[in-house]
Amino acid sequence: MNPNNYPELRAQGLRLRYGKQEVLHGIDLTLRPGCIYGLVGRNGAGKTTLLSCLTGQLAVSEGIVTCGGAPVWENAAALANLCFSREIGTTLGNGPNNLKVRDYLEAAALFLPHWDKAYAARLVERFGLDERKKICKLSKGMLSMVTIVIALASRAPITLLDEPVAGLDVVAREDFYKLLLEDYAETGRTFVISTHIIEEAASVFEEVILLDEGNILEMGETDELVGQFAAVTGAEEAVDAVCAGHTVLTCERLGRQKQCVVRLPGGPGALRAGGEVDVEPLTLQKVFVTLCGHEGKGGGAV
Amino acid sequence: MLQPFNEQSALYLQVAQMLEDGILRGIYPAEEQVPSTNELARAYKINPATAAKGINLLVDQGVLYKRRGIGMFVAPGAAAAIAARRKAAFYQDYVIALAKEAASLGIGAEELAQMVRRAAEHKED
Repeated sequence: MNPNNYPELRAQGLRLRYGKQEVLHGIDLTLRPGCIYGLVGRNGAGKTTLLSCLTGQLAVSEGIVTCGGAPVWENAAALANLCFSREIGTTLGNGPNNLKVRDYLEAAALFLPHWDKAYAARLVERFGLDERKKICKLSKGMLSMVTIVIALASRAPITLLDEPVAGLDVVAREDFYKLLLEDYAETGRTFVISTHIIEEAASVFEEVILLDEGNILEMGETDELVGQFAAVTGAEEAVDAVCAGHTVLTCERLGRQKQCVVRLPGGPGALRAGGEVDVEPLTLQKVFVTLCGHEGKGGGAV
Repeated sequence: MLQPFNEQSALYLQVAQMLEDGILRGIYPAEEQVPSTNELARAYKINPATAAKGINLLVDQGVLYKRRGIGMFVAPGAAAAIAARRKAAFYQDYVIALAKEAASLGIGAEELAQMVRRAAEHKED
């Protein structure tokens, strides 16, 4: 498939309710071809639900999801462009998942029209996976590897991965990002990757989607978003003077020392930095905590 | 192992700076090809768009130039231009920070000047 013909994936007014509880509150989202997106959000923010809706694995309550202009729901032609590789359960029905790694790869070959069998074999070898092993006997890391093999070898123009690195050690995580970038350099396809391990992934994401309690809080170029925030540290009066007139998001005090996180749409150049305060950039992780660390919900003060 | 990036400035600026360092140290002499966007992305595990942004910054500054279909090359006189630009920023980037730290330690101007002279003459660390 020619990368120039890759479709875009779009959600409009997407709402999803489980019974009476609404989990996604009207999501509008356009994923352009050839971009690596990071999807970050706290536990229960709705990341997996959103990915399921985007790939037609969950019927939306309101709104529509389209791929290249065509609705994805029960539309084989549109779904052929998509691969959603999600966590594999170690149980199946009421018993252990006795299917083998090989069964999953064979099923993937049946359902994913762009499946690259040789690539899958290379990845299995690189990860040291045993295809004869039963899914219920795999470690958490190996389960993650199976989902990664399926996602990469799917060669789907739009590939979505839900927490692909959750079970992996740091060496395997680095290896995954390397493989991802190699594949991306070769194919230029679209990836959406959800993760809780934000820091090491931040440099891989061209754009980041910040999901918070079923709403998109921020979406944009990672560099550009992170560049809007700065931490100002120093004596209280000096910090107050520098931050005056700007959007202050958080303030912490330690004795007479104060640190404020400010948001400056034009970048930290807008601050009248005097000599007596330190102005430092934030990492994506700190930006995330600043924006999503609601008090009384597992974060913030008790 | 390649040196990891720090968190003190935007990644694409660090990509540009790293290439500049290479040019200054003669690793990439004039008319020599520099690593491609994808090579940089793979080596540092960063998004190719970020690597491209860093390279484009240097193209805009005339440090690198593009040979169509081949890649990016170091422009003639790039090392001297980088040195001149960094020299202009040296006071702002290094001397002011040095003076600020010295002041908070109670090191006076004369003592600081002596230290600087000693380091410059004897290359002590």
